[in-house]
This record gives sequence, C-alpha cells and structure tokens, in this order.
Amino acid sequence: MVFSTTYFLFLYLPVVLLIYYICPLKLRNLALLAVSLVFYYWGERIYVIIMIASTLIDYTHGMLVEHFKGKGKLKFAKMAVASSMIFNLALLGFFKYWDFIAGSLQAIGLTFMPVLGIHLPIGISFYTFQTMSYTIDVYRGDTRAQHNIVNFGTFVTLFPQLIAGPIIKYKDLGDQIDHRTCTSDKFASGVQRFMVGLAKKLLIANNVGMLWDAYKAMAPGELTVAGAWLGVLAFTFQIYFDFSGYSDMAIGLGRMLGFEFMENFNYPYISKSITEFWRRWHISLSTWFREYLYIPLGGNRCSKPRWVFNLLIVWAATGIWHGASWNFVLWGLYFFVFLMLEKLVWGRALARLPAAVQHVYTLFLVLVSWAIFAIEDFGQLVPYLKVMFGLGGVPLADGAFGYYLRSYLPLLVIAGVGSTPLLSKLWHKLPRKAAAVALPVLLTAGLMVCTGYVVDATYNPFLYFRF
Amino acid sequence: MSKGYARFITAFFCLFLAAFLVANLVLPDREFSPEENRYLAQRPELTLESITDDEGTFMTDFEDYHSDQFAGRDFWIGLKAWGERLTGKQENNGVYFGTDGAQTLFAQFTSPTAEDMAQRLSYVNALGENVDVPVWFALIPGKVTVWSDLLPAGAPLADESGALEQAAGSCVSVQWIDLVTPLMDHKDEYVFYRTDHHWTTLGAYYGYLALMEGMGLEPVEFTGTPELVSDSFLGTTYSAAGAKWVKPDEMYRWIPEDGVKVTSYFTGMPEEGALYVDSFLAEKDKYSSFLGGVQPLCVVETGHTDAPKLLLVRDSYSDCLTPFLTQNFSEIHLFDLRNNNMSLSAYVEENGIDQVLVLYSTANFTTDGNLFKMGI
Repeated sequence: MVFSTTYFLFLYLPVVLLIYYICPLKLRNLALLAVSLVFYYWGERIYVIIMIASTLIDYTHGMLVEHFKGKGKLKFAKMAVASSMIFNLALLGFFKYWDFIAGSLQAIGLTFMPVLGIHLPIGISFYTFQTMSYTIDVYRGDTRAQHNIVNFGTFVTLFPQLIAGPIIKYKDLGDQIDHRTCTSDKFASGVQRFMVGLAKKLLIANNVGMLWDAYKAMAPGELTVAGAWLGVLAFTFQIYFDFSGYSDMAIGLGRMLGFEFMENFNYPYISKSITEFWRRWHISLSTWFREYLYIPLGGNRCSKPRWVFNLLIVWAATGIWHGASWNFVLWGLYFFVFLMLEKLVWGRALARLPAAVQHVYTLFLVLVSWAIFAIEDFGQLVPYLKVMFGLGGVPLADGAFGYYLRSYLPLLVIAGVGSTPLLSKLWHKLPRKAAAVALPVLLTAGLMVCTGYVVDATYNPFLYFRF
Repeated sequence: MSKGYARFITAFFCLFLAAFLVANLVLPDREFSPEENRYLAQRPELTLESITDDEGTFMTDFEDYHSDQFAGRDFWIGLKAWGERLTGKQENNGVYFGTDGAQTLFAQFTSPTAEDMAQRLSYVNALGENVDVPVWFALIPGKVTVWSDLLPAGAPLADESGALEQAAGSCVSVQWIDLVTPLMDHKDEYVFYRTDHHWTTLGAYYGYLALMEGMGLEPVEFTGTPELVSDSFLGTTYSAAGAKWVKPDEMYRWIPEDGVKVTSYFTGMPEEGALYVDSFLAEKDKYSSFLGGVQPLCVVETGHTDAPKLLLVRDSYSDCLTPFLTQNFSEIHLFDLRNNNMSLSAYVEENGIDQVLVLYSTANFTTDGNLFKMGI
C-alpha cells in the first residue's frame, strides 16, 4: 500500500488510528502488527511470508545470540550472528539479485543460472537491513534481545517505515517498542510533518516527475542540450521530494502512533561538497553502511590502500542496494571517485573557494549522478549524457523546451526554495499567534489540494520498487 | 504548542479523515459519471479468491473503486485542474489549455511511428482493392492543426502534419481528399467545439463541401438559418481536463430531417432511428444527439432515389456530417468498425453500394485498433 492514495488516506489510516487508540496499551503492539501485515499484504500478498520468515528468523537468532553470550559461549554467539546474516543476505540476494546476476552472466555467455523472473518484494531491502542489524547489535551488546515475538514483529513490520524507510535500527527503536507515550502534542506535530510529506510527494514530486518522464521518453534525436538538463533537474527534484516526502510521512505517522523515528534527509541540495551531500542524503542508509560495513572492514584505521578499498566496497554496495542493475553500481562508484578526489586531492582547495562555486560544483555533480541513477539502460544513458554535454549533435533548445520551461517554472522555483531550509526558518520566525492562525489554514489548504491531486491521480509513481 | 491547541490540530486532522471515511461509506455509488463521460468502477466482490489470487484482483479493483466513488469526486477533479492552471501548467490530464484564457481545450496528439501509420494505411488500400466501386479516403485534421494559433507555444504533442502527409502520399487504390486546406481556410470560424474533440456542424459543412467536390458531386450550398439547439454543451475534452472554468459550447442543427428514414442497429437489430435525438440534449453527452450515439451500423434513406448509395466507414465525426450527405445520396450506410465485424467487400456487393468513403479524424485513425477489419 502506498501513502499517497485515497484508500490509504481516507480508509486505512483513520481505521488504523481508531483501532490503535481504542486498544488498551497492552494490545497496541499486537494491533500495530496486525494492521501492518494487512498493509503489506495489500500490495504484496503471498510475499508477506518472506517478511514473516525474516521476522521469525531474526527473533530466534537474537534470542540465541543473547543466550550464548550470557553463557560466555562467544563462538556460538558469533555463529548465530553469521547465520542470521546468511539468511537475510540470502533472502535479499535471491529476491533482488538472482535475475540480475543470471542475466549479467548470460550476457557474457554463461548460462548455468537461469533467469527466473522473480518478483522483488517491496521493502525487502529495508527490512532485511533492519533485522540484520538487530542481531549484530545484540551481539555487540548495543541492545538487549527482544523476548516478545509480537513486539519484535511490530518493529519489523511497522507500516509507516516499511516500504520506503527510514532504515530504523532496533537499538534506536527498541525502547519505544516496549514503552512509548502518545500525547496530543506528538500527534499534532506528526500531523504537520505528515502534511508536509504528503504535499512534497503529491504536489511537487509527482508533478516534476511528469516533466522528467517527458524527457526520458524522448529519443536522443528529439532531445536538446537545455532540455536534457531540464529533464535531469526535474528528476533531481522528483527523487528528493518523493523520497524525503515519504520519510516525512513516515516520521509524521510514527509520531501519531507515539514513535520518534530518526531524520533521513537534511536539505542535501544545499551541500557544498559531495562529502557533505552524503551526510545529508538518506542518512539512515549511509549510517547503516558505516556501522555495519565500513567500520567492520576496518574503516580508516588501516593502511591507505586498504582504506580506499574499504570505501570502494562501501560505495559499490551503496550503489547496488538501490537496484539490481549496472547503472546503480556505476552511480555508487561515481560517488566513490568524487569522494576520494575530495578526500585526497581537492577537498581543502574546494573549501577555500567562494561558497557559490562550491554549491555549483556540488549541484553539477549531483545532477549528473541522477542521470546515471534514473536511466537504467546504458544504450539510453550514454546518448543522454552526450546530449547533456553538448556531444549529441542536437540543438541547444527547441520549442518543446520553451513549452516545458514555461509550464514548470513556477513549480521548479517552489521546489528549489523547498530544497533549502528557508521556509522552515521563516515558519519558526513567525510570531506565535500568527503561526497559531496560519497552521490550521495551511493544514486545511494542504489537505484540500492534496485530496484533489490524489483523487485525480493519473500519475502517482512509486520510485522505490527497485530498492 | 499548548495542550489545547495540539488537541485542536489533532481533532481537526482526524475529523477531516473521518468525514470522508463516513461520506464514502454513506453516499450511494454512482454507475456513470456524466462529467467524466465514463463508467465508474463499482465495488469489487470480496471473495477468498479475489483477495488471494496472484493479480490481487480485489485490491487493484478496490483502489479504482475507492477513488472513482470518492465523495465529491467532480469537485476534487476541478480543484486539481485549477491547481495545475494556477501553477502555470498549460495542460492537465493530456489536454492543452488554449492561449485564449484556457477556453479552448486541445486533446494532445501523439504522432504514430511511420511504420504504424504505413500499416494503418495499408488497410485502407486493401479495402480499395477488395471492392469494385470507387473508394475515397479523407482524414479530418484536429483542432491542434486548424487552431494551432491558440495552442501554447511549443506544445510538443500537437503535430498532425507528418501523419497527414504520409496518408496523402500513400493512397494507391483509393483517392485522397484533402480536408486540411478547406478547414484552414475557415480557421477563424467556429469549426470546432472548444470543449470537445469533434468538429461543429459548421466544420462538418465545410468538410461536406470539400468531400463532395473531391468525389465529383455537386454540393448543396446552405441557405437556411442554423437552429441553435444547445448553449450548454461541455464535451469530452472538458471532461478529461476537468476544466470547470470554460464557457460551454453552442450546438447547431442545419439540415431538417424531412423525408429521411433512419434505421439504427444499436444492438445489431434494426430499429427506427433519427438524424437528431433530442433526448441527448438534456444530458451531458449532447453530441450524441446527432444520430443517437455509437452504433455498429446505421442506414439513412433519403428521398433522392436517383442518387448514388454511399458506404461511409467512419468514426463519430460523421454523426453531424450525415445530415448534409442526405442531399446527395439515396442511401448512406454508416459503418463503425469498432463493433461491426461484417466483411466490407461483401457489404458493398450485397447492398449495391456505388461509392465508399473512409472518413476518420486523424486522432482516431492513428489510434483505433479496428482498422484491420477494412482489409477483410
């Protein structure tokens, strides 16, 4: 189920809130588990079994790790962690990467792995990472094992963050799973956050997404240089407003249910370097890789070549996590290259340049990265990039470019401003009384307009089905 | 945030959701939306199979049902269209807003590939070869061509010229009649409905003059006064765009029905029809007042018994053209390929047809999936 639909907003959500708040405290996790399973079953049906399997496996493994650790049998505890990782990676590997590997092997003439046409269960990349980190954290002593299967199930299946993150670690949420308070304060702030996220998704991301789709569908000969950049700019806004909008909605829904999730985005497009960009973009993913891959590999406390190698592994993994396709690997490695260059070559020099230059540098590299990300087919990606850099032998601009620019300019400006903390700052500077009046007005307007867009949703893509 | 205020915001949000939850439950489902001119999704049947099958039949159907039957759907669609317009968009749901204050609405036109167009034209030529009588072929240009001055500058999906040129240049066993020039000559007149994809009766009249000339017949110049039958017509393009701000169109009738016998085959069985069906004027779908809407076959017999018999392979644009044709033919057989699987060549022989005219709007000709039946 997707948040930006009429049946989620006006059927599922109110019914869930009603059930949740009439349930006695003791039963709320059970209620959440049940409605979350319905949420997942709605879109994925039989594949809900994989999520349940993952839940049971990691629940058991967490208990085993704790049991062996308690008895001082570290070796067995380690084996239990390894077993959990194997299970999770095998699930992810099979459902997400089997066909990709098989297809890639067949492309070079090796046919021992058949392409099976496997359906990728939505959210599998998120929940396998969450459950895997759980057993690791129990082993590391960062959290205690969850003894209650209902509570653990609630953690894994929690519907607000189930299909598009943030990737929440058990050690950050475990206490809230066991005990949390629901206050009207929290609920009201959740409403605001949810509203912001819904508007980001429905009003900005979906709209600029149509602009990107128009350019993506063009043959290289139909493109223009300015048009290709406009298309990529549209995708740049689409992915940010879609993804951060989903995170906002998740955080908002979480608060309505009494949870406090971690922030996932921190205005990434105001970054002054690629290094900074990755501290602000999809924070829950980069910290996950840092904690459970980069540091175990040795981090930077090792020889320089080994450190470079560690980063290479991390960025290849980050790339392929976004989808089983070579362009995502290329996308990850692209960032590896520029992060290395910033760390080893021009990072310090960059910091001394005027801020404007640093912003232009970062945005330029980020825009190009989104072209690599958005176009999966190399046969289409290469000509598109060529056009962007003036090598496509096409005109600079044409009538269609003018049409699209005029049609989308107001929206692009709004998206541009919305990518900065400006509006948030203005809101917090508003006198209390003015804010108290403005909030219900904005909320009404937001709900009305979003309802209009969601009822007439001729275009409502879900971008993360590859994640 | 004070506690009271937080409660107010919480209650406000919950009541908004709950209001529509209840409204959607209580309000009766609609079967047809005149505003959108389509049948709405109905409540899917909840069975063990429908919620467990691989396709997720129930869930998918329920999603359509829930948004189709959403309380105040027409209002929300209009709100969204306004939202698009106010943020500077020059289109909504595949419809361009004209530069005349978004009063003229243009359905977008997607050019077919040359191969696809060639395939379609081959069916027309096949018809020409299969019958022994002359076959004429004409495509009606759309508003995007005739009224291109009103299109938003640079609108990308609006160029029919490639398809029209290819059609004109590919006629082997049929004879092409150009309708672009005669309509362009009158582009400052009310030849298309602003809110519908069809041509107006005036547009059809200019089409009639050009068609008769092309077929070597003497067109009858109109000297009467057109009768205004509706000033509140909001057509299909309006429906698609949700453009609640447009002024409605006017609809006229030119030729009286005197001495004409119409036999309609709405269900395959002959029944008495009419050139004009007044009851549709009271509904949203006013264009169907011409001939009474979609029918696989319609036979119009006139008093000009000496005149030739015409077979018209056609789309709905011919509905308002037919009254003009009654002046030049003894019988007009209107053949709609969409719901009619009879062999055209056999039909020509059995009914003693003298001339065949294949007449489609460019938009329909480039998208219809039934043209292959012409070749059978």
